[in-house]
Amino acid sequence: MRSRVLGWPVIAWCLPLLVVLCLAAETKAESVTLQVTPDVMEINSFYQGHNVTVTGTLPAGLGAVVEVVGPTAEEHLRRKGRRGPLWMNVGTITVDGAPSLYLVLSSAADLLSGKLINAAWGFPALIQRISLSGDVQDNEKDKFKQQFLELKESEQLYGAWPGGLKVSPADNGQQKVTGTFWLPSNIRPDTYKVCLTAVRDGQAADRVCTDLPVQMVGFPAFLMTLAYQHGALYGILAVVIAIVVGFVMGYLFKGGGGH
Amino acid sequence: MPLSLYLPISGSATNILLLLGLGGAVGFLSGLFGVGGGFLMTPLLIMAGIPSTVAAATDSNQIVAASTSGTYAHYRLGNVDFKMGLLLLVGGVVGGTLGVQLIKILRAMGNADFVIKVTYVIMLGVIGGYMFVESLQSMRKTAPEEAKPREPQRPSVYARLVQALPWQMRFEKSGVTLSPIMPFVLGTFVGILAAIMGVGGGFIMVPVMVYMLRMPMHVVVGTSLFQILFTCINVTVMQAITNHTVDLVLAIILLIGSTLGAQFGARISRRLKADQLKILLASIVLVVMVQILVSLVWPPHLLLGHGGGH
Repeated sequence: MRSRVLGWPVIAWCLPLLVVLCLAAETKAESVTLQVTPDVMEINSFYQGHNVTVTGTLPAGLGAVVEVVGPTAEEHLRRKGRRGPLWMNVGTITVDGAPSLYLVLSSAADLLSGKLINAAWGFPALIQRISLSGDVQDNEKDKFKQQFLELKESEQLYGAWPGGLKVSPADNGQQKVTGTFWLPSNIRPDTYKVCLTAVRDGQAADRVCTDLPVQMVGFPAFLMTLAYQHGALYGILAVVIAIVVGFVMGYLFKGGGGH
Repeated sequence: MPLSLYLPISGSATNILLLLGLGGAVGFLSGLFGVGGGFLMTPLLIMAGIPSTVAAATDSNQIVAASTSGTYAHYRLGNVDFKMGLLLLVGGVVGGTLGVQLIKILRAMGNADFVIKVTYVIMLGVIGGYMFVESLQSMRKTAPEEAKPREPQRPSVYARLVQALPWQMRFEKSGVTLSPIMPFVLGTFVGILAAIMGVGGGFIMVPVMVYMLRMPMHVVVGTSLFQILFTCINVTVMQAITNHTVDLVLAIILLIGSTLGAQFGARISRRLKADQLKILLASIVLVVMVQILVSLVWPPHLLLGHGGGH
């Protein structure tokens, strides 16, 4: 019905255009691809951190950067200072705009060297996005942003691996990148973003992202629900278990001991 | 990292053997001296990577098990003075409530952390130093009649004051005659300090019983454990309800280690002389005091850190 209304000349014009658009979209989709293994991270009783492998393709000759980014949330940290001979907490600094996790790998070391002024990735770009407020002077902010990065690195929640991606040739003028990063054991259940950026002349030429959900399963999930949704029951249960174990151990020792 | 277990409330994985070892060592001291071990376990857990708020709350949970086991062991040996323990406990609850209010005021004023650490250093320094010197002197004197009250040696102002208090009553197990006001007031004092310092208070309670209530060391240990048991039950339930910081998995591992350790400790405590026990406890108290003092004086690696702590 509709084609009769529009008429054949319109279809004749539109069809090649559609074909071109579809082909362009396909080429674009194939130019940068990304796959994360495992695609869902499950935290069970024996989770102690886990390696995650990223594989991707991008046009040959381009640099590659993989970022793993957690959601941002306001964080309140204590500032330490000296009063007389003693070191203590002297104030609170609120950090805004910092992701809960930031891991970055690159194909070439110089992509993370900090020399690329307009780079949207890496620690220098991250520092630009972070803002500090609270008990901190303007002239101290750079120092404390650096301290914030060091704190997160010490907790394994931030990390940079220049040259951490391996590049190998692939078909159709593409290249393949592979890399592995360690998802630490202190990661919070959430949805994290893994992004692969193709870099040409220090600028992002293309970028593709995928979600990496991290979920608690099994006993840890059950325990978290109990602790947060039935706090009183959880507390009483903890005390009862403690008393029972204490008595059982005492009784066992009574049997074996010689008082 | 072999044998690691994920601790959901702590939000990280930790080695089971390390936790069992920590629990065992602290439980051993708990049984040996009648202290809850909170002042040792909390810093050790923080060193093992457990967040400080979770460490303090979980610690009180494992002390419930260690002190149940320890109290039971001492009860069988006839070393628990329930009358004295209950009076100290009532005082401890009153003191704990006052202490929590005091902490609120300190937090509002700013430097609660500083006050807490300085309280630790002063209390540990005074108690540890006094116990150490006193035990050393008494060991040198060859001390043939250990574990006996020594009132006749000290007709001091303090002794006369104690005797002048009303409602004097006999505490058979402890072999002392005192006014119930004494254990109540001292229990309140220890309760205030325990709330400020975020621990069961055993390491303050033991010297208070020995030096101020003049109780014999073996009864002190059992009675202290009895009082700590109830203090820590209260703290565990309150922490679970308000802060969700009690890690049951962590506590179970620690308490398996600590209950085993506490049994060994209670047995060895009977073989050691009172002065040897005191000098050992004094040394440990002093070591912890020095460690906290160093953390106060030594420049930190980073000038930014997470909140929390007690």
